[in-house]
Amino acid sequence: MTLILFWLFPLIYSLYLSFTDYTVLNPYPNFIGVQNYLNLFSDPDFLTALKNTSLFVAGTIPFTTIIALFLALIVNQKIPLKDFFRAGFFLPSITSMVVIALIFTNLYSKDGYLTFLCHLLGIPTPEKGFLFSTSTALPSIMLMDVWVSFGYYLILYLAALQAIPQELYEAAEISGASFWQKFRYITLPYLRPMTLLIVLLNTIRSFQIFIEIFVMTKGGPLNSTLTVVYSVYENGLVRFQMGYASAMAYVLFFIIMIFSLLQMKVFGLGKGVEE
Amino acid sequence: MRKIGRIALFVFLILVLLGTLFPLIWMFYSSLFSHTISLASLADIFKQKLTLKNYAEVFSQIPFGKFLFNSVFVAVVVTLGNLFFCSLVGYAFARKRFPCKKSLFVSVVLVLMIPVHILIIPLFILIKFFGWYDTYLALIAPWLVSPLGIFLMRQYIEVLPKDLEEAARIDGAGEFKILFRVVLPLCKPALAVVAIQVFLANWNSFLFPFILTSSENMRTVPVALALFQGYQTIDWPRLFAASGLATLPVLILFLFFQRQIVAGLTTGALKQ
Repeated sequence: MTLILFWLFPLIYSLYLSFTDYTVLNPYPNFIGVQNYLNLFSDPDFLTALKNTSLFVAGTIPFTTIIALFLALIVNQKIPLKDFFRAGFFLPSITSMVVIALIFTNLYSKDGYLTFLCHLLGIPTPEKGFLFSTSTALPSIMLMDVWVSFGYYLILYLAALQAIPQELYEAAEISGASFWQKFRYITLPYLRPMTLLIVLLNTIRSFQIFIEIFVMTKGGPLNSTLTVVYSVYENGLVRFQMGYASAMAYVLFFIIMIFSLLQMKVFGLGKGVEE
Repeated sequence: MRKIGRIALFVFLILVLLGTLFPLIWMFYSSLFSHTISLASLADIFKQKLTLKNYAEVFSQIPFGKFLFNSVFVAVVVTLGNLFFCSLVGYAFARKRFPCKKSLFVSVVLVLMIPVHILIIPLFILIKFFGWYDTYLALIAPWLVSPLGIFLMRQYIEVLPKDLEEAARIDGAGEFKILFRVVLPLCKPALAVVAIQVFLANWNSFLFPFILTSSENMRTVPVALALFQGYQTIDWPRLFAASGLATLPVLILFLFFQRQIVAGLTTGALKQ
């Protein structure tokens, strides 16, 4: 099957590559064991990339999740134009990431709208624009990521909210439960599996951030937005250190796996997830 | 009191919505001016005339028509391929018995969860090895069948009643005839979800078209947009006109098929 040819085979092949010194100059790779992996952890660029990627993941997911949940709860109320809001929030998440990244490059630039807004509010802005300062580039991209992705998770939360049996709320109202009690004892427990799923999907996605970096900063300034997948691209397809880049990709792969498993464990594996 | 709260909530939602849509509106709006505009000089904005000139120039100054053709061609072929192969495989998984069926299906689900970044290097080498680098084959072949599509089709076919297929079999219809004349006409909703899902994903896809092609002739719209800065210093009005053209099909699909898009994304996620 095609699937095996284009997905499973590359997967295994790249695991093999990660143990070799494959480059374009050396098309007959030698097996060099875990040397690539050892080199990785003494490579300052890779460690920076790893740090930036982790910062990105840790700094976006809580916000995205909470905003998505909060807005889903509001949109789920009896509110006029409900479908309209839902559609509007959702729209950015199906727009091309390249387009979004371009728009934000403009908004963040030194005479862009967001810079202008900060001036109005008296917030100091970096001289050359948000994306050209080592201290603001990564946070700017993180902010954009929250903006672009919350709508998708909001839709998932809405689906989960609509699956909660209404009788529970009615029963709770009869016994005089307050708004917070209903939220705490009915809504939240029911949303647990969905929250796990959302955090899981978002983790897998966020660890692989690439397009934004490529379009907006190319890893700069001074590596302050260098991420792991961007390094994989740069090392593998610009410098043609295929073996080394594969090792990088696999380190990230294992990190993602470990994180996913941990999250499943923390949230309680099973039951809900299998739905 | 309750009413005031409700109105406050509504206003709040409107504000958030404006914040959400502002960048997209900004893109379309600034693509209609002949010079880069900034809000800092509000007066300027009202003085200048709106124009569609940028849209025309996108086609005359860069080979945007070619990029558009590439994108449409690739997305359409991949979508058709997915409809065909995913139905075939989905039908097999739903109805047939064959060796290793279970483990094969598990591998499909596993593929659904693989972080795609791991494929960058090996797929690049594989495509080079086949001699497909920088051709349409590189843009099309790897995506002709998608795990999500297989999954959706199997789920849908599995719950269809078997009677019709059996009746057709008794009448002497072959397997392909049964699939295409009997089963698939019943699967229209699932096919629609698969088609839209695949089309959108391909239309917006950047990473793989980018790494698997090199010449200007083979660029799809997102790749061209990302490399636009290479042509000249950033010319925002024109770049936004091009971005607008890239977004338009998404907007149109979204307006007409919102339900299918949401269904595709939510079932896709839920099944994982």
